[in-house]
Amino acid sequence: MKLVKSTIKTILILLPFYIQQPVFADDGVTNNSNKIIRLATTTSTDNSGLLAYLLPTFEQTSGYRVHIIAVGTGKALRMGRDGDADVLLVHAPAAEMKFVNAGFGEKRYPVMVNDFVLVGPLSNPANIKIDSEISYALQQIADHKSIFISRGDNSGTHKKELSLWKTKNNYHKSKAYREVGQGMGKVLQMAAELDAYTLTDRGTWLAFQAKTPLKILNEGDPKLFNPYHIIAVNPERYSNINYPGAKALISWITSNDAQTLIGQFTVNNNLLFKPSANETQLTSQLVKETGGQ
Amino acid sequence: MDDSTSITLEAIHLLFSGDTELWAIIGVSFQVSTTAILISVPPALIIAFILAYADFPGRRLLISIFNTLLAVPAVVIGLTFYLLLSRQGILGDWRLLFTQSAMVMGQAALSFPILVAMGHAAFQAIDKRAWETARTLGANRIRAFYTVMKEARFGLLAALFSAYGRIIAEVGASMMLGGNILNYTRNIPTAIALETSKGEFSQGIALGLVLIILAFTLNTFLQYFQGKGHLSN
Amino acid sequence: MKTDIYNTHINFSDIRKRFGQKQILDNSEIEITSGKCILLCGKNGSGKTTFLRIIAGLETPDSGFVNTGLGKYHWKKCRQQLRNSVVYLHQQPYMFEGDVISNLNFSLDNKLKQKQRLQRIRSALEWAGLESIAENSAKTLSGGELQRVAITRAWLRNPKILLLDEPVTNMDYESRLRTIDLLLNLKQQGVALVVSSHDPVHFEALTDNWLQLSEGRLSDYTSSENITPIHYKKYIYEHTY
Repeated sequence: MKLVKSTIKTILILLPFYIQQPVFADDGVTNNSNKIIRLATTTSTDNSGLLAYLLPTFEQTSGYRVHIIAVGTGKALRMGRDGDADVLLVHAPAAEMKFVNAGFGEKRYPVMVNDFVLVGPLSNPANIKIDSEISYALQQIADHKSIFISRGDNSGTHKKELSLWKTKNNYHKSKAYREVGQGMGKVLQMAAELDAYTLTDRGTWLAFQAKTPLKILNEGDPKLFNPYHIIAVNPERYSNINYPGAKALISWITSNDAQTLIGQFTVNNNLLFKPSANETQLTSQLVKETGGQ
Repeated sequence: MDDSTSITLEAIHLLFSGDTELWAIIGVSFQVSTTAILISVPPALIIAFILAYADFPGRRLLISIFNTLLAVPAVVIGLTFYLLLSRQGILGDWRLLFTQSAMVMGQAALSFPILVAMGHAAFQAIDKRAWETARTLGANRIRAFYTVMKEARFGLLAALFSAYGRIIAEVGASMMLGGNILNYTRNIPTAIALETSKGEFSQGIALGLVLIILAFTLNTFLQYFQGKGHLSN
Repeated sequence: MKTDIYNTHINFSDIRKRFGQKQILDNSEIEITSGKCILLCGKNGSGKTTFLRIIAGLETPDSGFVNTGLGKYHWKKCRQQLRNSVVYLHQQPYMFEGDVISNLNFSLDNKLKQKQRLQRIRSALEWAGLESIAENSAKTLSGGELQRVAITRAWLRNPKILLLDEPVTNMDYESRLRTIDLLLNLKQQGVALVVSSHDPVHFEALTDNWLQLSEGRLSDYTSSENITPIHYKKYIYEHTY
């Protein structure tokens, strides 16, 4: 019985990764019909269920169809650069700015903010306090040589994590610090198996919470805030970009209606995102604080 | 395109500049796959031999089972071992998930049916008289087995290379069981998957080149070896 | 020592073997004596090969007893002993990859030193007149050469009993003579020979005892000394036409 249960559990955990496969099939297919918008976004955004909740409204009112390509931020930006996507919804401020400054994308529009949390085993070997500063919590992990699973995939979460470490000892080169190069769900799974700590976005966390023995051990530091931006790919670089579609999506998602919807979105009865389209100042300030990279 | 040319050049540069991370990944690949093959070859060859030479009830069924196992996708093998080795699994106490040992187990399981099925075909191609002649000339079972293996060496070598080629290039089971941990369980195929997902193609291509060179070397070796065998006839 | 070998008698009795519905051997009995040659006749499919393979230990009988002079034992108990003293030659002998020398080398004890090996192989090549093809690939030998190399390879094992399944079938005249010459030589050395053939005329000079296998039973076709060409002709007439 236990095996059956865990089989189902594992299949459930793994399911999202396989369900993604058909989405990849759209990758690189150039669609001449300008009714289709190719949105490259991060796995964490897609996993949270926000887009499935939000986009049907847009598709109905605008007549566009949105193809979601859920990949790591690094790949998403690359796709934008290569003209394989029309519009990007990502959360890696420093990389985004570089992307826009290099002329690959048009302009960054703030969409929403959520936050990251530090999760780990119930036993909490590094003795982390829930309300301490995140840098201090990470320092404790390094001091105790506890296992930390890093995304290691250049994703927004990975970049965020790297920006938070202040440790100067050799922890990152030790066997306790493990770069695994996998998606957030898989990383949470590995952390649970290995009694390890990891940094996760709250969206994925809420989706996995019920299936994992891990607990939130630190949250709330402003440095853990995570701003999302939407960027249209520069139409001057590629003629087959659906630029009107991208603009339509951007103006809709930053509109008051969509922003209200975002603010009402819940996962397991928890609000997940704070709309930020009208708080340009706040987000730019956040970017400065967290430094991206 | 200019872009892909520069990526390829960068890949070649990475390979020959002795990039430590890249070579660590290559090292993990060879270490894990070689261990897996070394573990699965002896029992697989014995089973292949028995299937080819012995007559017992259920032999045909066993052959069908091994041929079916050939078609089982790597991810299914990965999932099976994942469930066994996970905390809640039967072997969870071993704490082997996300270690090289788990990868070795998965790859050994993957290579096993290939070795048995192709080994069986190779043994079958050798006359039963080879075994009987060895036995009647006083060879004990071990020496006779060794003699038949020598007679069947081209087929067996082809089986070995196919099995090795499959597991060293396999991504599904390695990713699930090893977890793609840098410097520990990240091997060539999982690294390629990762680098592609990061949008960094040059390392992916460099690693792909290693696999292509490996495949080419093994095939050339096999061709040469077989060619030599024919010439001496 | 030599007289000792000459005195060896091995008696196989109550040999039975059935394949599916067909009783191939039914209470067959044979006595093998050093330095004597038994010719085993019978039509194709009469069970000659099965019979030889059972004596060689390559096939398991449904029943069978062996008496080496020390009492009657179940065949299983004598298996190892028989393995050490019997060599079986297939109708089409199998040659291992490599040259004739390496095939002869196979028969030699692992403990032998390289020098002794070469010496024994050289004398074996000389014995069988195979020097000229010593380095030829064994897989490409002609039928006559193949049989002679196989006999030589067996000879190097110093067998007490040599079983040959249709040794001169499809062989030209000269090869047949040379093969039979080797077998005569073996007989003189005290080796017991059992030769199966559906065409006994070639073995006139060799045969001491002529057994006929039919319907699973062995019967003495003629007693040893009285075999004359007339018998052979009669046999061939009875069995061929």
